[in-house]
Amino acid sequence: MNYWKELVKGIWSRNPQMVIGLGFCPTLAVSTSLSNALWMTLAATFVLVGSNLIISSIRKIVPGHLRIPIFITIIATFVTVVDLLLEAYQPEVYRSLGIFIPLIVVNCIILGRAEEFAQKNGVFVSVLDGIGMGIGFGLTLVVLAAVREVLGANRLFGYPLIPGMEPAAVMVLAPGAFFTLAFMLWGMNAINARKKRK
Amino acid sequence: MIREILKPTLIIVAVAFICVMALSQVQRVTAPQIAARALEKQQQSLALVLPGFDTGPALTARVEGKDFTWWEGVKQEDGAERKGFAFLTKSPGYGGDVESMVGVDENGIILGLSILQQAETPGLGDRCVEVASRETLFDHIRGGVPVRDLPDEAPIPWFQNQFKGVNAGAGIAVQRRGNWDPEMRESLLALNAISALTGATITTDAVVKSVERGMALLVKARAAAAGQGAEAKK
Repeated sequence: MNYWKELVKGIWSRNPQMVIGLGFCPTLAVSTSLSNALWMTLAATFVLVGSNLIISSIRKIVPGHLRIPIFITIIATFVTVVDLLLEAYQPEVYRSLGIFIPLIVVNCIILGRAEEFAQKNGVFVSVLDGIGMGIGFGLTLVVLAAVREVLGANRLFGYPLIPGMEPAAVMVLAPGAFFTLAFMLWGMNAINARKKRK
Repeated sequence: MIREILKPTLIIVAVAFICVMALSQVQRVTAPQIAARALEKQQQSLALVLPGFDTGPALTARVEGKDFTWWEGVKQEDGAERKGFAFLTKSPGYGGDVESMVGVDENGIILGLSILQQAETPGLGDRCVEVASRETLFDHIRGGVPVRDLPDEAPIPWFQNQFKGVNAGAGIAVQRRGNWDPEMRESLLALNAISALTGATITTDAVVKSVERGMALLVKARAAAAGQGAEAKK
């Protein structure tokens, strides 16, 4: 098994949102500002790596028909840990991400990786898979958030960019997220198509 | 048959047990921190909504079947004693209740408002706690705020700041003027109005409604408390 390949596949060739098409809810919802996107990435990656680690190490004793409740219990535990830690040590972030931290439980990327990868593979590759998928998830989020924050709020990292310019509020709203995502998918497919032609 | 039922049951019980044990440990570590943050936030909010007032302990009364919490404060100003009141109030917004603390003087003029709890949409409704900054990213890279833009107001969230001076008892109007800035103050105060959050009407209305309701409850709660006090004196 090629470890490097398992790590980097989440970034481009099997990117969770752009290629697999999972996890759009947090992607569209928290990509309104770059700092939200980065904290979301950190939280989701922590849960993803943790759940992949535990699930792959207990995969042999989990009865097949009970795997979903067991996986969800484990994922929910990690999410609650993140939730409590953020509330205790990063109250500003906790306040700003609000409901989307508890909602990581139902982030399909995490359950998807548990189902598709962690329950079939060893501990080490599962952790690599989790890290790679987390980075891929984060990259999509960060690109989306940067575009939306600049165009929608005239800010970057919370700092105003051009004083006095009225931002296009539609970019902060849901349609803006869809537009940006569509352009990103178009760009990605165009690059892939060009690669194939060569 | 028994084995088929028993074994999976035991496994799932074991997983749940271990998870709960782990969580209770994390909870034990973080709980004091979380409680301390909440208390700190409440004290800061009291100082923010009743600036310069000596506030007493929290008072509670049952009004309309619900517990209502408020604080009373006094301040010496121009040789006269001025009273101020702070109360907790909430109203449902877009993502659960928006809870805030409001400070008013004897006439119902808002001295300060601070949002304690909210789970509004990030980037829209949650801008009700956004701190306005005139420092641009380029300024920040060049090294700090240029003198021309030094904010003359405390770095508190602009949406909450604009409630200062509004009469809480007289029906607060909502205007759509985009981000509030100090130049808007006079024209908004003349209308007893605030400027809404762009794209977050429900959040704006929630805060306005909670202020108006809280003010009405405060009057009733004080009347009730005064009634009780009079009875106790008899």
